[in-house]
Amino acid sequence: MSPPVVEARGVTRTFPMPAGPVVAVRDLSVTIATGEFVSICGPSGCGKSTLLHILGCVDTPSSGELLVDGRDVSTLGDAARSALRLSKIGFVFQRFFLLPMLTAAENVELPQAEAGVSRAERRSRTSALLDYVGLAHRTHHRPSQLSGGEAQRVAIARALANRPRLLLADEPTGELDQATGQQIVGLFERVHADGTTVVVVTHDPAIAARTPRMLSMRDGRIEDGASR
Amino acid sequence: MSAKVWAFALRSLARQPGRAILGILGVAAVGALLFDMLLLSRGLLVSFRALLDSAGFDVRVMAADAPALARPRIAEAETAAAAIRALPDVDEVASLRLGNAIVTGPDGGTHDIFFIGADAQTRRRPWILLEGRDLGASDTGGPPPLVVNRRLATTLRLRPGSELTLRGDCARGVASAAPPVRFRVAGFAAFPFDDPKAMTAAARLADFGRTCGLDEKSDADLFLVASREGRGPEAAVRAIRALRLDLHAFSNEEIVARFQQVGFSYFRQISAVLSTITLFFGFLLITVLLTVSVNQRFAEIAALRALGFTRRRVVLDVLAQAVLLVGAGGVLSLPLGLALARWLESILHAMPEIPAAMHFFAFEPRALATHALLLALTAVLAALYPMRLVSRLPIAATLRSEMVT
Ligand SMILES: Nc1ncnc2c1ncn2[C@@H]1O[C@H](COP(=O)(O)OP(=O)(O)OP(=O)(O)O)[C@@H](O)[C@H]1O
Ligand SMILES: [Mg+2]
Repeated sequence: MSPPVVEARGVTRTFPMPAGPVVAVRDLSVTIATGEFVSICGPSGCGKSTLLHILGCVDTPSSGELLVDGRDVSTLGDAARSALRLSKIGFVFQRFFLLPMLTAAENVELPQAEAGVSRAERRSRTSALLDYVGLAHRTHHRPSQLSGGEAQRVAIARALANRPRLLLADEPTGELDQATGQQIVGLFERVHADGTTVVVVTHDPAIAARTPRMLSMRDGRIEDGASR
Repeated sequence: MSAKVWAFALRSLARQPGRAILGILGVAAVGALLFDMLLLSRGLLVSFRALLDSAGFDVRVMAADAPALARPRIAEAETAAAAIRALPDVDEVASLRLGNAIVTGPDGGTHDIFFIGADAQTRRRPWILLEGRDLGASDTGGPPPLVVNRRLATTLRLRPGSELTLRGDCARGVASAAPPVRFRVAGFAAFPFDDPKAMTAAARLADFGRTCGLDEKSDADLFLVASREGRGPEAAVRAIRALRLDLHAFSNEEIVARFQQVGFSYFRQISAVLSTITLFFGFLLITVLLTVSVNQRFAEIAALRALGFTRRRVVLDVLAQAVLLVGAGGVLSLPLGLALARWLESILHAMPEIPAAMHFFAFEPRALATHALLLALTAVLAALYPMRLVSRLPIAATLRSEMVT
């Protein structure tokens, strides 16, 4: 059996603040197995984003262990962590963060170029991905020429560019209307069905309800980790 | 840095073309000033040296180590010149007398001109013959020969063969009692130290003396000495100093070195200070532009980092942007600097007593290299602060704060 995609063991994240340290994630353990589709929900400030950032190796826990593909990543330097993110983890943000000066296709090509994928391969992979997210007709559009839902779909294509094992999304529908949000969730379901492990942070119960496993957080802890 | 870093930096800059153009123009202006400063600090030396060398004499001998106006004359000049000429390290000695004369123009107006008396025996001449004949050593009958510069020729409508009358004005402001002397124009010549408005004429020493009412053999203002080939000016200077302790001999090299040390060193210092200030403005401009741009892109940079861009990669992006801005501005600054140098040169040449052959701005490949080096240094220094901002950017906190705001 392959190891879990990512596993947190007794992870705590505190932020030193003038008025005393803020504990965003408190002695938390969670395992995300290969092929899961997990949602993390909970009230604002309960530590959802912090946990997602730790799972995605953009933040380091103050204590505890994080294993990606069975390997402890807490000792990795910046270059190794970046390489790990580049090849194994895809990020989708609430505000898309597409580069405005690049076209949809160029945005999707960017992580591939960074990973050293050849131009020809980049081209074909990019058009396949844009086709996959239903935006083949928007290839040469800039982010400013796209709707919010289209931009988020480009961002998902970009996150999938280097065939990551794990796709992380923080409030991916936060900027979108209900219907568009549902379409995006549909896209995540498809990505999951095609074999990628997906973790979505959301405060929308309707979205959480569509994921096979829901983690409910409160005060930096997971309240209820049961899969439904 | 790889091609993709450059390409990406270029796209980032092109995103705000107004800002990029502002940066490039700013660097172009700063670079042009810097370039001119570099040309200027060398130009005077280079062209002063060229002027000294132009006539082919490489040693100058004077009676005292003093500025021309305050300098006594060399007494017993003919004897002294003969003794120097006899030195094995010396090839030629030209005795020179400097004075003024008054001529009357075709319209009846009088003109004050520079009047030079020179040895007619030498092969080299302290002027360059342009047209007609030079002063001959032997008399051909008729009025004595005179070479004049173009400006004098034009003003007095002279041609080779024309005649004109000179009244000597040689004792520094005191008009000589000698009667006017009629000369025939042998040819036109360029005098290296002429300023563009100068009217200059040169005659043989004997005729100069006659015009000024002086004894021909009495004294000289200056000896121009050419060292013998293979011996070099230093040997000639040593020999002359050994021969006549009372005379002061200097090679052209020494004269330039002194010029560089004394008057010119202040000039260099001023130019160094101005260059530094200029570069500092370029540095500020680029630092501010890049810092503002980086600040606006924090969230985007954090997102790129989350996607797998290394810290090194995003830091290099800032450096590449700085280099592109400064590089483009630097390239633009060269034609701009050259045009500015020309313009300034024309202003400076409007000053009296500046030899037309003297250039304030002289182009040397060295100036170009220094220019490129200083601008490159500025680009790197200007990028340091925004590079530091980017390298310290916390990914998670930045992504989060972007959600909050
Ligand atoms: N960089 C930081 N510096 C200080 N405090 C922080 C930082 N990041 C998070 N926190 C604190 O940690 C706690 C959890 O924050 P986090 O962003 O993970 O919450 P969240 O569950 O994602 O909230 P939301 O639903 O509003 O996005 C909050 O109290 C927050 O103030
Ligand atoms: Mg959050």
